[in-house]
Amino acid sequence: MNVRNTLVGLCLLLLSQFAMADIVVVANPKAGIRWLTRDDVVNIYLGRYRRLESGLTAEPIDLSGEPEIKAMFYRKLVDKSLAEINAYWSRLVFSGQTQPPQMAANTAEALRRVAARPGALAYVERSKVDRRVVIIFEFGDE
Amino acid sequence: MLKNLSLLGLLLPGLALGLAPSPANAQTEAESPDAHPTFFIRGFGTLGLARSSSDQAEFVRDLSQPRGIKGGDWSARIDSVLGAQANWQATPEVELVGQIVSRYRYDESRTPEVMWAFAKWEPDTRVALRAGRIGADFMMLADSRLVGYSYLAARPSTDFFGPLFFSHFDGADASLTLPLGKGLVRGKVFAGKTQEKASDVSGIWDTSGSPVRGLILDYSTGSWQFRASAARIRFSNDFPLAPLPDLLRSFGASGAAGELSTAGKASRFYSLGVVYDQGPAQVQGMLNEIHHESGLFQNSRGGYLLAGYRVGALTPYAGVSWWKSTSKNLATGLPDVPFASLNQTFDSVATASAADQTTYTLGARWDVYPNVALKLQWDAVRGSSRSVFPVRAEQAGWNGRTNVISAVVDFVF
Repeated sequence: MNVRNTLVGLCLLLLSQFAMADIVVVANPKAGIRWLTRDDVVNIYLGRYRRLESGLTAEPIDLSGEPEIKAMFYRKLVDKSLAEINAYWSRLVFSGQTQPPQMAANTAEALRRVAARPGALAYVERSKVDRRVVIIFEFGDE
Repeated sequence: MLKNLSLLGLLLPGLALGLAPSPANAQTEAESPDAHPTFFIRGFGTLGLARSSSDQAEFVRDLSQPRGIKGGDWSARIDSVLGAQANWQATPEVELVGQIVSRYRYDESRTPEVMWAFAKWEPDTRVALRAGRIGADFMMLADSRLVGYSYLAARPSTDFFGPLFFSHFDGADASLTLPLGKGLVRGKVFAGKTQEKASDVSGIWDTSGSPVRGLILDYSTGSWQFRASAARIRFSNDFPLAPLPDLLRSFGASGAAGELSTAGKASRFYSLGVVYDQGPAQVQGMLNEIHHESGLFQNSRGGYLLAGYRVGALTPYAGVSWWKSTSKNLATGLPDVPFASLNQTFDSVATASAADQTTYTLGARWDVYPNVALKLQWDAVRGSSRSVFPVRAEQAGWNGRTNVISAVVDFVF
């Protein structure tokens, strides 16, 4: 039936949207982070406070090469557009304060850097998470 | 290789080339695949056109500007800026930062000037020490007033930031950030000496070498940020008023002459600010109070409230701001006969720093591209005729009222 097919199609579409939107923050297992709160992630990514409980300095990574994922991450984290995030960093950078997150061209590079540096953090799609890293924050389950 | 070049040497060619490189291609390739880039060149700029309706006085962005705009003519004078910055993370703890800016200056030129040139040492993520030429963070957001892309409105409120003609000083600051409750508290102290000049119809005032110091306390939690700051400057030089002070002294009015001196006298700046930033909504409110020991400047209070709400790429905003000074009721003590003209000159100098105005602002910011914003803004300045400090070249008949329309393009690269 056409209607039924359409409905199933819609459901699949919605599911895929949810799956796409499932972004998690990962860290190096050596960082000793068990879990971060949303405030912790905001403080790290917006450069307000980057000291981890272990004393390590958090080194957040932005997925500059994947703007859809980046946009989705900041939308979910602080409900800001990428333009607003850019404006925010312009103020801090050009007044000589904190540096913005480092840039990674893609998820694979971000994961590789997290795996290589104990303080590195990155946001990636849950489906891309592998054994080199651990999930330390997920949206909607705080 | 980078170590052999001075920061300035790195910046100047960048400015000469029109700063073409984007942050991505300006990064040097790191030697190790896991080390991130450590050198960045970035830039910012504003191309701004504005017109002010009044024929009787020139509207300026702040008191560092010797001339403004008037008579309904469109002009790019007051808001246009171009800046470039180099950051070099020399070691994980040490960063060198240099910034050069070309803007409309006290001498009416746009000669590029070194805005910042400092070394920053972060022995710990909670502590930052900076030394060199650094931003004069006299009031909340005061150290990024030239980066139009970073704020909502076309320009920082003239009523609030107008009296602040300092952008930087040579010295040091230290800040400490600690978690407190659910938020973060940050304290910062700074001290140094200014290296700046201001100008007025009476001439150029060199404030170089004036000691400054101050402290800032911030608390941020969730969508809220609160700030209190206090700063002091002790002027090294007298404001150019010759021959008035000598004339006053020669007629025995040394007290009045002394009131007009600025050398060795302090000005104090206090400000309180609150920012609420939640998703598409942002609201800022700030208050300031400025005390001058010198009788040349009236004490003043100012404030602003600005609110915006993002709808897609468009953020309409509205604001109100004010700047009001209190007269010190100074007089020469000399009789009007035969000193009428001397008394008159003294009065006009003593009231030249009077401010009494409120500004209503409406505008919209359109984020055209991720690094480009277009803003259209209307400001209605509603003041009294005595409000002459905020403007330039006022003439008889200035009624304290003007309407300013601004169209600006802000960008960062």
